[in-house]
Amino acid sequence: MDTTPVTTTTTSTLEPFLALLARSLATLETTFNRLPGSAVIQRYVKSSHQNDPGRTLLEIILILFAIRTLLQSRTQADRGEKHFIQFSDKEIEELVDEWAPEPLAQPLNARSQHELAAVPVIAGANSHKPKLAASGKTVTNLASLNFAGLAGNDFIKQRATEILRKYGLGSCGPPGFYGTLDVHMNLESDIADFLGTEAAILYSQGFSTISSVIPAFCKRGDIIVADRGVNFAIQKGIQISRSTIRWYDHNDLKSLEDVLESVEKERKKRRQPLTRRFIITEGIFEKDGAMVDLPKLIELKYKHKYRLILDESYSFGSVGRTGRGLTELYNVPASKIDMLIGSVAIGLCTSGGFCAGSEVVVNHQRINGLSFIFSASMPALLSVSASEAINMFRSTPSIFSQLQDNIRAARAILDRVDGISIPSHPASPIIHIHLKSFPPNSLHPQSAVSLASSISSSSGAGRRSDPTSILPRDVTKHGWDWDVETEETLLQEVVEEALAQGVMITKAKRLRGQEMVEPRPSIRLALTSALSRKETEKAVGVVKAALAKVLCKRKW
Amino acid sequence: MALNRPSSSPSIFKKRSSQSLSPMTTAASYLSALSQADARARGSSLPPPTSTPALSLSSSTTCSSSDTALNEFDEHEGNGHLNGNGRVDEFYYHSNGDGMGGAGDGLLVLARPPTSEQVFTTVHAEFGHCANESYRYTSRHYPQDAPLDPHVEQDPPYYILLSTYISYLILIILGHIRDFVGKRLSPASYRHLIPRDGYAPLNSDFDSFYTRRLKARMDECFSQPVTGVAGRTIVLLDRISPDYNQTMILTGTRTRALNISSYNYLGFAQARGGCADAVEEAIKRYGVSTFGSRLEGGSSDMHTVGEALVARFVGMEDALICSMGFATNSTIIPALVSKGCLVISDELNHASIRFGVRLSGAHVRMFKHNNMKSLESLLREVISQGQPKTHRPWKKILLIVEGLYSMEGTMVNLPAILELKRRYKFYLFVDEAHSIGALGPHGRGVCDYFGVNPRSVDVLMGTFTKSFGAAGGYIAGNKVLVDHLRINGHSGPYAEAMTPPVLTQIIASMASIMGIAAPTLGQKEDEQLAHPGPAPPSALPNWLTLPPALSSGIEGSSRLRRLAFNSRYLHHGLKKLGFITYGHPSSPIVPLLLFNPGKMCIFHRMMKDRQIPIIVVVVAYPATPLVTSRVRFCVSAAHTKEDIDTILKACDEVGDVLDLKHGIRQSERWSMDEIMKGAVELVETAA
Repeated sequence: MDTTPVTTTTTSTLEPFLALLARSLATLETTFNRLPGSAVIQRYVKSSHQNDPGRTLLEIILILFAIRTLLQSRTQADRGEKHFIQFSDKEIEELVDEWAPEPLAQPLNARSQHELAAVPVIAGANSHKPKLAASGKTVTNLASLNFAGLAGNDFIKQRATEILRKYGLGSCGPPGFYGTLDVHMNLESDIADFLGTEAAILYSQGFSTISSVIPAFCKRGDIIVADRGVNFAIQKGIQISRSTIRWYDHNDLKSLEDVLESVEKERKKRRQPLTRRFIITEGIFEKDGAMVDLPKLIELKYKHKYRLILDESYSFGSVGRTGRGLTELYNVPASKIDMLIGSVAIGLCTSGGFCAGSEVVVNHQRINGLSFIFSASMPALLSVSASEAINMFRSTPSIFSQLQDNIRAARAILDRVDGISIPSHPASPIIHIHLKSFPPNSLHPQSAVSLASSISSSSGAGRRSDPTSILPRDVTKHGWDWDVETEETLLQEVVEEALAQGVMITKAKRLRGQEMVEPRPSIRLALTSALSRKETEKAVGVVKAALAKVLCKRKW
Repeated sequence: MALNRPSSSPSIFKKRSSQSLSPMTTAASYLSALSQADARARGSSLPPPTSTPALSLSSSTTCSSSDTALNEFDEHEGNGHLNGNGRVDEFYYHSNGDGMGGAGDGLLVLARPPTSEQVFTTVHAEFGHCANESYRYTSRHYPQDAPLDPHVEQDPPYYILLSTYISYLILIILGHIRDFVGKRLSPASYRHLIPRDGYAPLNSDFDSFYTRRLKARMDECFSQPVTGVAGRTIVLLDRISPDYNQTMILTGTRTRALNISSYNYLGFAQARGGCADAVEEAIKRYGVSTFGSRLEGGSSDMHTVGEALVARFVGMEDALICSMGFATNSTIIPALVSKGCLVISDELNHASIRFGVRLSGAHVRMFKHNNMKSLESLLREVISQGQPKTHRPWKKILLIVEGLYSMEGTMVNLPAILELKRRYKFYLFVDEAHSIGALGPHGRGVCDYFGVNPRSVDVLMGTFTKSFGAAGGYIAGNKVLVDHLRINGHSGPYAEAMTPPVLTQIIASMASIMGIAAPTLGQKEDEQLAHPGPAPPSALPNWLTLPPALSSGIEGSSRLRRLAFNSRYLHHGLKKLGFITYGHPSSPIVPLLLFNPGKMCIFHRMMKDRQIPIIVVVVAYPATPLVTSRVRFCVSAAHTKEDIDTILKACDEVGDVLDLKHGIRQSERWSMDEIMKGAVELVETAA
């Protein structure tokens, strides 16, 4: 706008052109002056130019830069990267022709194929004594998660049928869009009442519950302190949250305290602002059946001002006098746990999962829990069946005393078996059976590994694990003192041997290669109160015999 | 009691006498009436049902009659009107007295009384009866080799855009002012948003601003509790908010409304009929759960049967079933791709796909929605550039698209993608969550619609929530792939297996779409039962019997054709009325553009408060771009032509009040009468 006409020596040829230029400039100036507010701009530009010509230049550059930034689309930023190589069309054609993708899926290896074929398929209803489709035999079931023994319960079936005739099957919509049924609201309040929390929210699959709950609260920059032994669903939730993650030793609250202190120290040192901080752990661990010391955990959480996300998938509906889970077992109010996650599928024997907590916590998930918003709500009849299960728990606590009896009976037998170790808590309804590692003094090649690791771990005794890595401290550069392939094969033999003797058990199936830390292969027994003590003893006796038969072949 | 009152008057819908809002001509007058009603409702804590104020007036008359709607069946069973297999043929003739929704509730009775030849085995409130064979259409791409019309997003006039932006601006400014003042005057109500006692807030006030200040204003449109079957009609549990949507109180009354919102494309959400009978039998035989994950003692023979039937239905070698639709994507995609792989994703893909891709660790690139040019140039770029920084070639490239996009109603351009696939060798994953069952002459999804061989797609994924009235999802592909996913997908070892009642609903509804036919002698089984043919009886559990109408496939095919008719009728009807709609005309998802945020709430309310209440889904940012707020209709085979008329009529009136008709010029528009008369012509000839 403040371009001054260029004064040059005029040649006759340029004269008409210059005249035109001058005229158009004049019109431009008058129209500009006619614009409201133009005088202010003019005055501003003039004065700033007078005071400091450098500033004018700077301002022009700034304006140009702003325009450039605005015009530059975001998608093109990628191309602007220094790694982008310009190819001609012909080159691209060649590269496209050359490119050969890997197959979408590799065929399964022999062991996986065998295991897939060996997965028992039940003909008809599942229960504590199901019939197998392959052999037609009736077996004793120590594999399915039927803790409370509600499988085949006639009253639940009758209620389910009634509900089917009122509600149909599917809800045909996500909760936000006419998928919230009154029976869902009832189940939510039933769960909240049962546990003693303010509210609860229902998800339609147990496994997807916690992987949605975690990212609903934990965002980038927040701090998660988690147990090294957490289950796969939690690992996935943590992964998707993008929070800063610190690990503590599996079920070691001393280690937790150390990590909590180090996190606080680090925050103070770096003068970081206060962010949300969470402790994530499980009630009874899916991976090994260990049980967390809840009162101590809660004490630590309050002391260090963390929020607690507790996954009670395997403890809700299985421990405590009426199956309320760890909170009942330890007599701790459930309201002290900020987010209590449980599985309706496992605990209440239907399908789905829930998160119980305060009103604020629950309502937050109604807008931020991904698998809550974006998935259809659960079928009405499953929801009512779950409510009925809660009613039964309240009215018949004998379910759980029977279950504990069976657990004690099973442990009494298994604890005396040689060659195995059981990491599970004595009250846990899932019992994991690990093979014992080769003793370091044997001549088996495997023992070289364990020897090496025992040497290095003894030299590093008292060494703390690194909280930024999920790998526990007893892992050395030599790896574990056990071998996945050998142990999986042996355990699978045990499973098949037991099945041949009429007891259905299962190995704990893992996603090898996808877990953050490879869990040790194990056999997972799931006890049920539907079996009597005698039946349980007999079935576990069969497992014991199968273990003995297979392990005696194992060369030390 | 029975057979004494065929509905006589032409207007079968009940009269809502006193407080009808129908003569409102402007949104302003409507709003003032609403606010008065609101005030009255708040004055009396819980309105007595006799003099319900206008706020819940939609419920007032209905509730007195139809709060028994849910109990109606029980009473009937008590009265012995239902015979064993749940036939309710004579339902419509029952008089008021015997609990059948009472005083001629319009949504429970037929618009035209059925003739003696027509025998209906379903309840009209769940599945509308329509015997007119001309209200049918076949969903298919025609002509076969014509290119798919590109999706054109019609723009509204500038003043609409401008006022939309200004609306948001006002909302945001007001919200900030309220926050600013509120934090100073009533800090207690902001306590959960500020750090205290050494805890950071669960939700920062910035993050929750949208929820608190924008979404909260229209909370009445969301999470409406309902009861009963989400079929042709649905029963709402009425609620009011005494404190500007902070809390919602159920009034205890109920309203039956016409349901154009549930994903019930083929109308299989039913509490009666062959499928429900099969489910009842399954509950008796199998109980409600299989207790455990598929690999750890939760597999039953029903799963095997179900998976084989799904594979046959979609025309793939094998399939696996997962107990939740969202989890099908979020737990299976990580087993397909990993680090070093590239996922190319349509920008409008569903959240579950994004979730799964994020878990997989694969690199992601997006292309413009359904834009083949953008896809091709992206493909050329990524294949030639290879992995970022290292420039190594990608291990594999997986293109993930949806068959039918849930917010736009657009259909994937499958033929063009297959063309590109041949050239660029990527793998193709089609999420048929909405399209399976809803598209194609045989209901087999987009492949069927375009007449392409499903095996030219690598992975077909779909859900059972929508067309099959069940829950969960499936993945289909070749045997090697599916076995790989059984072992390596997260749901195999960890997620609970699908429950037997749900499996049965899937098997029964799927079989009735396919039809069951034994291979005749002398004819090769492969030939007759090849995709997309009927299912052999051996593909079903031997205890499962379907009534003849379902097992012959007649009912299934009639549902498919009714859905196609209804979809096209609603789509073209709205267009001819002058509205801006998105999406493919054959799509059962019909979005109607509203633009202004304020219109969402009022549109929802005005539809719900009509004489025949209609419930709609309104969606806004962040599910859609900021300006294009919309209503999303989900058409069902359970709707009759009269239902669609009702909806069109309602839209016509509301659209005039709210100034929504910006699609075509006044002179080109059709009147409601013309549309209703020319429905068949409209469906068949319009492009």
